[in-house]
Amino acid sequence: MTDPRVTGASRYAEDVELPGLLHARIVRSLYPHARVLSVTVPDGVVALTPDDVRGLGRYGCQIQDSTVLAVDRARFAGDPVAAVAAETEREAEEAAALVEVDYEELPAVFDAVEAAAPSATLVHEQHTASGGAAAYFALRPQAGTNICHTFSIRHGDVDAGFADAEVVVEETFRTAAAHHAHMEPHATVAHWNGDALEIWTGTQTPFNLREDLARVFEIPEERIRVVCPPMGGSFGAKTFLRTEAIAAALARKVGRPVKLVVPRSEEWVTINRHAATIEVKLGARADGTLVAKRVTCYADTGAYADCGPGVAQKMGFAAPGPYRIPNVWVDSYCVYTNLPPNGAFRGYGQMQTSWASERAMDLLAERLGLDPLELRLRNLLREGDRYCTGETMHDVHFAECLESAARAIGWHEDRRGKGLSVILKGMQTPSRASVAIEAGDDGIYTLRCATTEMGQGAKHALSLVAAELLGVEPTAIRFPDPDTAIVPYDTRTTSSRSTYMMSRALEAAAADLRRNGKRGFGEVVDEGGLDPHTGQGIASTHWHQGAAGAEVRVDEETGKLEIVRLHSSIYAGRVVDQAAAELQTEGAMIMGLGTALFEEVVYRDGHVVNANLSDYPVPAFADLPGALTCELIEREGAEIHGLGETALPPVPPAIGNALASLGRSLTDLPMTPEAVLG
Amino acid sequence: MRLTLHVNGEPHEVEARTDESLLDVLRRELGLLSVRETCGIGVCGACTVLVDGAPMSGCLLLAPLAEGRELTTVEGLGGDHPVQRAFEQARGFQCGYCTPGMILTAARLLEEQPQPSEADVRVAMSGNLCRCGSYVKIIEAVLLAAGRKEEVWTS
Repeated sequence: MTDPRVTGASRYAEDVELPGLLHARIVRSLYPHARVLSVTVPDGVVALTPDDVRGLGRYGCQIQDSTVLAVDRARFAGDPVAAVAAETEREAEEAAALVEVDYEELPAVFDAVEAAAPSATLVHEQHTASGGAAAYFALRPQAGTNICHTFSIRHGDVDAGFADAEVVVEETFRTAAAHHAHMEPHATVAHWNGDALEIWTGTQTPFNLREDLARVFEIPEERIRVVCPPMGGSFGAKTFLRTEAIAAALARKVGRPVKLVVPRSEEWVTINRHAATIEVKLGARADGTLVAKRVTCYADTGAYADCGPGVAQKMGFAAPGPYRIPNVWVDSYCVYTNLPPNGAFRGYGQMQTSWASERAMDLLAERLGLDPLELRLRNLLREGDRYCTGETMHDVHFAECLESAARAIGWHEDRRGKGLSVILKGMQTPSRASVAIEAGDDGIYTLRCATTEMGQGAKHALSLVAAELLGVEPTAIRFPDPDTAIVPYDTRTTSSRSTYMMSRALEAAAADLRRNGKRGFGEVVDEGGLDPHTGQGIASTHWHQGAAGAEVRVDEETGKLEIVRLHSSIYAGRVVDQAAAELQTEGAMIMGLGTALFEEVVYRDGHVVNANLSDYPVPAFADLPGALTCELIEREGAEIHGLGETALPPVPPAIGNALASLGRSLTDLPMTPEAVLG
Repeated sequence: MRLTLHVNGEPHEVEARTDESLLDVLRRELGLLSVRETCGIGVCGACTVLVDGAPMSGCLLLAPLAEGRELTTVEGLGGDHPVQRAFEQARGFQCGYCTPGMILTAARLLEEQPQPSEADVRVAMSGNLCRCGSYVKIIEAVLLAAGRKEEVWTS
């Protein structure tokens, strides 16, 4: 059977058709911060206006700061203020242009560090923590400020540590906002069946979405059905509630199904990656032993928090890096600004924090006159060490990954133009996965689970695992698209957790099936979590580990940074599907390359000015390094390790460190030719 | 207006506005959903259609201008085309959204240049974006289709 991806037969949410379906278009705020005085809809135009949604519930996966439309105030340029429905997409576009909105402009704030100051313009007056499943940690908002979450680590005595240090480096690093640029746009079809809502949408988070929709429409979750066709890429963009509530509210108002496909230019105001400012102070003894680290992170979450608190928390707990450091102090702030919202992006804060952490390590190596590889190896976490969160590290392979990356780029022959980096990356903790297996009379086994497919290959990998467990051919496994009306609960398809968590649930389900004959159910629960005041607890039940090596050349005339070689070495535990594991790793590296070299959402006065794929380039064939290679490190008897994200975060610092070895030490991403020429 | 489009070897009568793109007409009128819109400005290649054998962006070509020309979408390759088989064997895709455009561009490349080098593939395919970053395996697929598997750069 030919794969539908090569015959063109794949169908995505945007391809879903229903009888009587209308097409929707969003009317968006022209101002980054403004009072919405009035919305006027001409005769003949069918529209959803603030008055239609005023009575609906607020939502937000971690902070309940969102309404279906901007009811009284628009908080970013692009904030939805109305939506129209029409027979065709073109008519919807024309109708949207006829809706008149009167605004009163308000002062706005566009920088997270400025926005965190006590005197800053407030984006939201209050911060109500969500009680939902996606708010899996205690939220620490600061009342009367733009800070909607603060995560801290207090480990050892950081002042005493710095007093003990013989060399201290201090630097501020910045990473730009970036855009997912998934090729399939956000697309949703909403349909009301009486008082029950059916949604077809590209989402990585069907159950979190259902929970927020239930809150908006004040109906029980059981009356909402979320069906998830495969996504044409997501990378974190299709998580939590995006445009589904607008489509559903419109569908309810007009009494017909509504399809909402986000036009490409509006994707840049739908969701982006957090820009970050990260201040690092790192102290060591003359022999390179790390003694203290102090980190302050500012994650710009834009006008609505989305999962920004979680991103800031991960930025914070990963900021120390994979090292033994006796004294650690971290404060990581999630800050509102009047920019488009930022959310999950492949790695979830990890890239930003790894850029700062691993560039700082090379600055320290230079000051100490040590080989950066030696400095890292001297301090890397080893089997049984405790991380600064207090948890004990198991199945530790940081040194192995790093040494492999060093070998691959010929580090020991000549270090000029070469750079290394190594990271630890957490997996969503706590989390829960469950799956049901149904045995059919035809010898076919059906998997019922909420793991969604976005190109990462989860369907194929889990089918292989199930086939092995059941002792059948992979062709005997059927894995329909997730449908919350049928599948058991799963936390979500994020943080490279699915192959690891769901394959363990499958083991339990297969055992249950053997006992019961026709149907087996399996569930795994990983407990854990961190105290946000001290950062103590279990950050991750399962750490992703990886390293990268880069060799670069600089064109002295143009500043163009040429990547001669890029390699990553990732701890894979046990590989389930070799080709898919390589695809995910190479894909993450190439995405990291874009982040390193040119990807940046550019704002002017709060407006995105490069909202198209010409002015916002993503890596093409022509941008590939001279050689791009990866090694997946396996260990006999090891557990499966998630691989979806690990290879992205080490790439920018490996390239930055390689560039620094040529005398150009940069602190900000991306490393554009202008920055390289300095 | 009514148009006659020759698509995948068959003439089709379709209804279209004079200012509509070929991409929109192929999707709506003929249900050829392998032709997909990502950028809408001719830089990504997701809407690639072979027009008299040459890859073009369906989002930029007005439908009336496609009259009288031979149009091929991936549906027209039949599923067993050597390039499709090579993409499947080399796993030259992840989400699959860009894959039809990649396959059509690669098919044309191999017609013009049956034995491309890896560098030739990179240049010829640079108008097709894959945000999943499957490029290494796509290059492998194209070289495999050309019978040059031994020259795959990553192995």
